[in-house]
Amino acid sequence: MTDPLARRLRAVVREAGIGVALLLVVAFFALFAPGFLGETNLSNILTQVTINLILATGMTFAILIGGIDLSVGAVMALCAVVGGTVMQAPFLPPWAAVCAGIAASLAVGMVAGALNGAISALWGIPSFIVTLGMLNVARGSALEVTDARSIYDFPDAFLAFGSAHLFGLPLMFLLALGLLAFGWVVLTRTVFGRMIYAIGNNEEAVRLSGHRTLRVRVAAFTITGLCVGIAAMVYVTRLSIANPILGVGFELNAIAAVIIGGTSLSGGRGSLFGTLLGAIVIGVLGNGLVLMGMSDFSRQIVTGAVIILAVVLDSYRARLSAAG
Amino acid sequence: MLELDGLTKRFPGVLALDGVSLSIAGGEMHALAGENGAGKSSLIRLLAGIHRPDAGTMRLGGAPYAPSVPLDAIRAGLRVVHQELNLLPALSVAENLLFERLPRRAGLLDRRRLDERARALLASVGLDGLDPRRRVETLGIAQCQLIEIARAVGGGETEGRVLILDEPTATLTPRESARLFELIERLRARGMTMIYVSHHLAEIFALCDRVSVLRNGRLVETRPTAQTDASGLIRAMLGRALAAQEAAAGHLRPPPDASRPPALELRGVRPRAAPSAPRQVAGERPGGIDLVLRHGEIVGIAGLVGAGRTELLRAIFGADGRAPGTMLRDGHEVRIAAPSDATRQGIGLLTEDRKREGLVLPMSAAINTSLAALRRIARAGILRPAAERAACMEQAGRLSTRLSGPGQKVVELSGGNQQKVVLAKWLLAGTRVLMLDEPTRGIDVGAKAEIHDLLDRLAASGHALLVVSSELPELMRLCDRIEVMSRGRIAGSLERAEFSEERILELAYRGFVDPRTSGAGP
Amino acid sequence: MDRRLFLGSCVGMGSLLLPRPLRAAPGAAGAGRPKIGLVMKSLANEFFKDMQEGAVAYAGKRGDFDLLAVGIQSETDIDGQIAAVETLVARGISGLVIAPADSRALVPPVARAMRAGIKVINIDVAFDPQALARHHVDIAFVGPDNRAGARMSGEVLAHALGQGGKVAIVEGNPGAENGAQRKLGFMDAIGAGGLTLLDSRTAHWETEEANTVFSNMLTAHPDIQGVMAANDSMALGVVKAIEASGARGRIKVVSFDNIPAIRPLLKDGEVLATVDQFGSQLAAAGLDNVLKELAGQNLTGWIRTPLKLVTGRDVA
Repeated sequence: MTDPLARRLRAVVREAGIGVALLLVVAFFALFAPGFLGETNLSNILTQVTINLILATGMTFAILIGGIDLSVGAVMALCAVVGGTVMQAPFLPPWAAVCAGIAASLAVGMVAGALNGAISALWGIPSFIVTLGMLNVARGSALEVTDARSIYDFPDAFLAFGSAHLFGLPLMFLLALGLLAFGWVVLTRTVFGRMIYAIGNNEEAVRLSGHRTLRVRVAAFTITGLCVGIAAMVYVTRLSIANPILGVGFELNAIAAVIIGGTSLSGGRGSLFGTLLGAIVIGVLGNGLVLMGMSDFSRQIVTGAVIILAVVLDSYRARLSAAG
Repeated sequence: MLELDGLTKRFPGVLALDGVSLSIAGGEMHALAGENGAGKSSLIRLLAGIHRPDAGTMRLGGAPYAPSVPLDAIRAGLRVVHQELNLLPALSVAENLLFERLPRRAGLLDRRRLDERARALLASVGLDGLDPRRRVETLGIAQCQLIEIARAVGGGETEGRVLILDEPTATLTPRESARLFELIERLRARGMTMIYVSHHLAEIFALCDRVSVLRNGRLVETRPTAQTDASGLIRAMLGRALAAQEAAAGHLRPPPDASRPPALELRGVRPRAAPSAPRQVAGERPGGIDLVLRHGEIVGIAGLVGAGRTELLRAIFGADGRAPGTMLRDGHEVRIAAPSDATRQGIGLLTEDRKREGLVLPMSAAINTSLAALRRIARAGILRPAAERAACMEQAGRLSTRLSGPGQKVVELSGGNQQKVVLAKWLLAGTRVLMLDEPTRGIDVGAKAEIHDLLDRLAASGHALLVVSSELPELMRLCDRIEVMSRGRIAGSLERAEFSEERILELAYRGFVDPRTSGAGP
Repeated sequence: MDRRLFLGSCVGMGSLLLPRPLRAAPGAAGAGRPKIGLVMKSLANEFFKDMQEGAVAYAGKRGDFDLLAVGIQSETDIDGQIAAVETLVARGISGLVIAPADSRALVPPVARAMRAGIKVINIDVAFDPQALARHHVDIAFVGPDNRAGARMSGEVLAHALGQGGKVAIVEGNPGAENGAQRKLGFMDAIGAGGLTLLDSRTAHWETEEANTVFSNMLTAHPDIQGVMAANDSMALGVVKAIEASGARGRIKVVSFDNIPAIRPLLKDGEVLATVDQFGSQLAAAGLDNVLKELAGQNLTGWIRTPLKLVTGRDVA
């Protein structure tokens, strides 16, 4: 039981659990969903999971530290409309306007995230509640900023990113992948990442070991917010529109990806690699079921059932590894 | 009354119990002894219906007994007071006591009758003054333990036949323990059969008729307590004789270094109010606590549970924010408003509750060891796993911690080894002033002696140690000086030559015989 | 997963914030001037925002009544709307114009208001006739014919593709009355034009979801030649999916609503047609009719408001 090789093997199986599920789903659609394996379709799936993948990457930080962020969809709308508004500034040359717009979007996301983290840490309020409040604040602000109108007509240079490909893969997906890889390094190789895992397991022990857990918590939620700001810009470049009611319910897809990826909702356990697989599973399901011609309503039922199944399997796996 | 035959229980990778057969007579007080991991807890879990045996049978009162859930055990008249507290923190004392059979009138909770019955139960365990409506989360750990006992015997008086007490005195002061022993005698007089698990050998000899010793899952011996003694029991538990120095407890350290400024000095520090501190009268300013701790010195803090010992350590550590008063470290005034300030000053705190406050249980020994020393382990914020593993194993070697490797999760370790990981954490962080709150609580005899030796060595190498313990022999064995706290203040200070349990207890109770404050009771 | 599931909790949050009166008509509230209540749907939606502004402008122009306008937090906040109606009744309105969030659930409170002597005009989405009959009330409906509008839009596509053209529909919210009517209108056009319907799916009125859903439909049916989107927001997502698939110019799109963001696409020919239902005039038309009732007229049935087909030529 204490044999390191056996331990490593078990860890691989634990990590791979969701990978096996993904392979099964892919194999199923390859057999029964016509056109599923087509190059265009696979590229489509990657494009479709990009936004959720970026949001889920940020959400992984919030969940690992023992919190959750329900505001990501609404904050994303706020980031998109603020960034979009800045981008249309008439007095700036297009390239400067694009940079300023992106910077504004990231800044809005980070400020919202930092507020979420600081308020919940300073007053000891569950982040569930704080971010539920932020959801309304951000949605309301997005409506105020735009007076409930959509923003469109962005610089062409910016919109070109949305459909660009590199090495045959959608550029925005590669961006998301890069972000995820960077997050993975932060979580597994840095003191900050170590703090996140440790606080997610036992915040008091970390604090009494002489760490300022409050800062770590604020930083983790700021990263969640940063990812939201990035996702908002990906949305705008892909769809050339920013409206204040976009992103409704995106937080639930992001949470689902994180949880399907094996990250514990109570914090301290999980990985971004799992999140990647979780986001892809959700995207593949949405795509494959349409290709099979399943009706909208049945598709919804199947997707929900798969989420429940994944979490049940995960808890079963967790129990197995705990017993060992 | 209770017969066990060939009980065997295997957990993945461990044979927890190996063919244990034991017969306990009705009305007997039977002790279970053994080191941590010897199988005592596993045996209790089988009896309580938490686990089921892989082989073997049990009989209770002559009938076959095979509980599959804890409720079966309770129905059969077998109650367990577990070491870990099982209370519902948000509910009142009364509700916790009578949870299984809340008195009702017309379908509604009968509060008056509930409180009445709760008061009676509380009185039976000596908690006469406690308000039954108080919420459990506001109570200290010792009071919780007594409530747990009251709950078990309260249900057992009519239907209960067997009561199992697992380390009931681990968190109690001598006075509270004495009350518990009276209670046990009363139950015995009524014919209750009891199984008593304790690391305190003196209690076993004072209370029990017979004692069974477990080692590595096997029953080594069962004999009347009159036919053995402490060293015989330790030999049976360890399978060897304990090193002589623990019994002799020689004080061989060099004297504290008086030439340097004290490692830590407190002037008028006022911790957060201790549970039993007298209510502050308007206009009267409490003086606060003065204390000097030198390099190479071990100072003990004695006192009853609730005297404010833990609060003092937390105040020094900044665990609850900045405490009023002045603190000097090596002669320089320091401002400590948070644990991060304390660790920067080379101050460490080994907490009373190591599972909740000391360790990140699901994580590895290496991660826990480096938790306070990440600045040393990391370069520019990047972890160096190889250095971390090496540091963990080096500390483990120094403290003789039994680890399968740096990756072993601390949740899998025994209490003694967990405590060594916490010590390793502070040593690796370069801590010079180490405060220890009940450092050997819930730790078996062998590991306890090792930890005592270790603290001796630390002091000899110039560390300054401040030790809180409810076990007076432990303090008397370790310390150069003992400060006795009572009701949030230092009631007196004893040099090594003056050490005696009577003197310490007299000082500890001093706050309660003061005519102005008597009547409040601990 | 369907993010609309989450709307439920938004509604829950929304109902915490009670409907608020937005702006009263300019001018002092003179005695004897009638107070007219206007109950809108979510003002987070541009369409209703425009509608409300049109109503305020109309009230300012006429100046012979006080306007009490109330919106709700989301399009499905039925409870919030019922509360809004009751609040307005308590504030002593004599006329009420309502765009119901649900064609059945709003009937009982409105019927109560009518029994209290308040004149009511129904706009945007018609009340369910059976529900009206059960409560023994008859309310005039002022609004566009969504079905006829969708048919107009669909016929542009049928004309462009010719007999046997293969099309897909991107639907609005399942359960939304205007969504259902628009789909029927598209089906009418498909039937009349001899088109073949390959697939029809909801994208819940949303751009991003329409983008995802339509790119998946396109994989399943690479031979799609035309798309009918039930609103312009979804058409935006559909056009992006077409561009991404490299089928720009090969697949034609028609739509509904005529929001500003669709105009560049009409101009470029990426969207062939959309339908303007003059939403900004709709509430004003409702107010006009409720004032007629207060003046003694008795209105019943469907008072159709104008619809206009908008194509590239109109925006050039």
